[in-house]
Amino acid sequence: MAGKPGRKFQLNEKQLGYAMVAPALVLILLVVIWPIMLSGWNSLFDYRLNDPTKSERIMSESLNLEEYADNRYLVEQNVNELSEAYPEGEETFNETWAVVEEHHEELVAEDEMAASYQEVNSMLNDYEPITDDNLRIQSIDGSWGSDFEAAMDEQIEAVNSVQQQADGDIALEIGYLAAQLENLQGSVLSPNFVGLQNYTDYLSDGRTWTALTNTTFFTIVSVGAELIIGLGVALLINRTFKGRGIVRASVLVPWAIPTAVAAMMWSYLFDGQSGIVAHYMAAIGLISDPGSLLTTASGSMFSIIFADVWKTTPYMALLLLAGLQTIPNTQYEAAEVDGAGRVQKFFFVTLPLLKSAILVALLFRTLDAFRVFDLIYVLTGGGPANATESISVFAYKALFEQQNFGAGSALSVIVFVCVAIISFIFVKLLGSDLFPERAKK
Amino acid sequence: MLKNQAGIRFYIFLAIFVFLVMFPFIWIFLTSLKPQNELTSFAWFTSNATLESYASAITTRPLFRYMLNSFVVSGLTTVLSLLIASFTAYAVTRLPIRGKTLILGLVLASSMFPPIAILSPIFNFVTDTGLRNSYIGLVIPYITISLPLAIWILATFFQKIPWELEESAKLDGATPFQTYRQIILPLATPGIFTTAILVFVAAWNEYLFALAINTADAWRTIPVGISFYQSEYTVPWGDISAATVIVTIPIVILVLIFQRRIVSGLTSGSVKE
Amino acid sequence: MKKAAAVTGAFIMLAGCSTADISPTAEDEVTITYARGVDTTNATDATIKAFEEEHPNINVEVREMPPDTGEQHNQYATILSSGSDEIDVFAADVVWPAEFAQAGYALPLDRLIERDNVDIDAHFPATIESTSYNGRQFAMPAYTDAGLLFYRKDIVDEPPETWEELETMAADLQGEEGTSFGYAMQASQYEGLVTNAIEYIGAYGGQIINENQEVVVNSPEAIEGIQKMIDVTQSDFVPNNILNFQEIETENAFINGNTVFARNWPYLLSTSTDPEISNIPDNVGFTTLPSGSDGTASALGGWTTMINKNSEEVEASWEFVKFMSSEQGQKIGALEGSRAPTIESLYDDEDIQEANALFADDAFVETLQNAVPRPVTADYPEVSDIMQIELSRAAAGEITAEEAAANLERKLSAVLNEE
Repeated sequence: MAGKPGRKFQLNEKQLGYAMVAPALVLILLVVIWPIMLSGWNSLFDYRLNDPTKSERIMSESLNLEEYADNRYLVEQNVNELSEAYPEGEETFNETWAVVEEHHEELVAEDEMAASYQEVNSMLNDYEPITDDNLRIQSIDGSWGSDFEAAMDEQIEAVNSVQQQADGDIALEIGYLAAQLENLQGSVLSPNFVGLQNYTDYLSDGRTWTALTNTTFFTIVSVGAELIIGLGVALLINRTFKGRGIVRASVLVPWAIPTAVAAMMWSYLFDGQSGIVAHYMAAIGLISDPGSLLTTASGSMFSIIFADVWKTTPYMALLLLAGLQTIPNTQYEAAEVDGAGRVQKFFFVTLPLLKSAILVALLFRTLDAFRVFDLIYVLTGGGPANATESISVFAYKALFEQQNFGAGSALSVIVFVCVAIISFIFVKLLGSDLFPERAKK
Repeated sequence: MLKNQAGIRFYIFLAIFVFLVMFPFIWIFLTSLKPQNELTSFAWFTSNATLESYASAITTRPLFRYMLNSFVVSGLTTVLSLLIASFTAYAVTRLPIRGKTLILGLVLASSMFPPIAILSPIFNFVTDTGLRNSYIGLVIPYITISLPLAIWILATFFQKIPWELEESAKLDGATPFQTYRQIILPLATPGIFTTAILVFVAAWNEYLFALAINTADAWRTIPVGISFYQSEYTVPWGDISAATVIVTIPIVILVLIFQRRIVSGLTSGSVKE
Repeated sequence: MKKAAAVTGAFIMLAGCSTADISPTAEDEVTITYARGVDTTNATDATIKAFEEEHPNINVEVREMPPDTGEQHNQYATILSSGSDEIDVFAADVVWPAEFAQAGYALPLDRLIERDNVDIDAHFPATIESTSYNGRQFAMPAYTDAGLLFYRKDIVDEPPETWEELETMAADLQGEEGTSFGYAMQASQYEGLVTNAIEYIGAYGGQIINENQEVVVNSPEAIEGIQKMIDVTQSDFVPNNILNFQEIETENAFINGNTVFARNWPYLLSTSTDPEISNIPDNVGFTTLPSGSDGTASALGGWTTMINKNSEEVEASWEFVKFMSSEQGQKIGALEGSRAPTIESLYDDEDIQEANALFADDAFVETLQNAVPRPVTADYPEVSDIMQIELSRAAAGEITAEEAAANLERKLSAVLNEE
């Protein structure tokens, strides 16, 4: 079909082509692909922000100087105080401090480390935040780390045995010394690279599979319903009739209400006592009683799907409506000449020509539905008893509530893989329709 | 199928359908007129209708500021996203560049990751560049997130535009860029307006990034702003209903204006196989 | 192309105005940012005003955080983990200090407390327990909260003493004076379910995690408590959607006159006695929660104040934190926002006793004294998540109390022993 442009022209076209693609690619690479790769990398670590021994990705043994300096100071303070307050343990406390000192001497024998330590310590004294990770985290060579850990184990045990003889407040104080020694020991960071362990853990966890099942069920039912209703709506608003503009605008209203607000709204409408929708559904016998909507496993899944279909059908309809615009009138006229009725026209003209629009709409809706988050998080929080927890909600809990970045990233990558498989199937189904270069031939 | 004239039965069906679709919104509207202590009643109409909730909705929180923010953010996102996406879509469908499959695949892949998982890196990026609590800090992620859908829809549209039109423009000495502006864009108007509405509303609805990135009240967008009407143990349904009604009206007007363009391609009859 | 240029111009303009609101301050003047959830009362403003009067060189700016406590936690985690110093002081739920301390988000306050001779023993012991971690103080208590039993004075003559009595009375009185249910509590799958369950478990002498960080939930006492909770949630006298009840639903049921008894936080007293919104303003009674075999137990709630470890203005921040937890600051909170002080002696203050009927009530003060903290552990979010799931299943009748306790023991041990 295409003619052959001149050679010089083609070069220009090529350059222009790359220039036109560049802004989108740069943005996508920078803002999305890079974070995705970072997440993939995170998922290979036991990486938790709320645990100082795991709050960095560590490939080789390191020392968290901030923790080290801070806890060393505290241990020193506490040893001095306790030696006075509890003379029975003085010997042990002094011994403990001597061991800490001995290792400290060894550590700062190295000039570079000594300088860094000084810097961190003085910043701590001035309540200055230490934000430079290169300063805060120092890698350590040789056996210092393991020696120190072993020595601390011994000292913690010694302190604990002193604690057992003491009682009352003093026992509590000695307990704190043990805790500080543990923290000091914890400043030695072992590598937390765990390879695929996060994946094997989560893939053998029943909760992941429940979440995946919930998500799949939600996706299939809601996208299916949206497609059927959306197609109906698209055909309806594609007709010419009086007041078409108003109808078009009003069927799009649900979609223009932000999900976060819509979810709040539905929790009000579904409420077992005062929710009007729950009330009417019970009145017409759709549900046994208004209370069952958000409190039973099936009721809450139904509620979520219902709210999602209500909200997202307009989106589907709009995409399909756009697809309908590309069907030339001549096709219908030709079909009419052949004596086709309304139903035949739909099945033999509309549907085949709408195939790529339907598949693109389905593709993007499926991608969205599989990553569903806001609606479930606000409406049910994943309950009751996790019956509506989607994989994104699960990942969100791991990432933001538990600050477990390793696990949360692994779950996100699992979502990514699932969605990639689904997309691959769609793209295969779409075949040549979606790849214009092939269609061009 | 356009020739079927709409009969009375069609209008009755239409009325019922629109009513059902609109019901939650109608109910929210009716709720917004009820006084405080009738909010949980099943009665449709209150005998003590009041605009108290509206007054409260616009005085307790800067609702109009939220609307302005949402309009600016969504508007900028739409314009920039369409510009960038239409470039890409044109290049991929019409220009002889290599790796089209890879480009489209990469674009698609970027919308496969849960948004919650890229929130932290984007948050850190926006913080580091000092763009927190600004419009641009939201517009950059929004554009990027909307690009896949925009590129794919536009690509399917551009691809259906007959090559012959372009060829003749070329023969007349038009550069590829002129072809793009004078032939492709006008012909793809329905697709562009559809995409525009999709992108605009997606940005309008976004909650998670807006919540994290713009933490100062003066920069909040509507979804986040409305969620701030509640406090720890209270949800003022009256205020929230009123605020929802206020912010939905401009969107309806916007759609009313643009909906003609969505189907204009059909009437102009320029798209042919 | 012209369009593109105009857009770029807009870009620069917008980026420009975003930085405009960071105005330079005079050299000796300091501005700190105080982050907290949405406050619909006047308490925050009044506290800041009083503080600024006392410290003319310190300005306090309020940064509102999401109203939902869970989302607030997540927003703090996002901001603090990025190492940002955009907030200096922040309000933290009573269950966060250990976690934020362990994560290194919070500044330890011990040295400052010692330097300024702050008497932390003036506060209720449980509030201090929940704000310290490994022997270090990471937060100062701001105000406290504890679960109470609310009832309809026009229906109930003598409030129930034990959970058994409550069950009988709720079943008998349900339906009187237009009520539909006997009792309402928080049983939705969220943090509130954990606090409710802790009250049942505590009333029967059980514990989840003991002082030595050992999981002790699989005990006959704890099982008895969980069983009592199941008895209540599965009974006929609670709303049939009790599994969707949070504080708001409970409040609505009570102020609309739909329930005889309700478990909620003290704030319900002010809303339910407000004739503007309540149908039963003159019939509200309150008392301690019913007892089990081991007395009554009320879950400790309330808020604390912490300092961002990355704050550049530690001294000014500390002054503000100190002010908020002082007698003066807590008194403002009590008068302006009905917030229960954590300083015991304030309950003898006449202004405070007058401000709210609760504060003058001995039973209430006793409840606060004996409030049971939720497990103090750095892994609290994970612990809470597991408890929410298992307790939700138990409340729904899917699993028995014994199964719930066994599951909790297994899963919680796995979390705590991970380190």
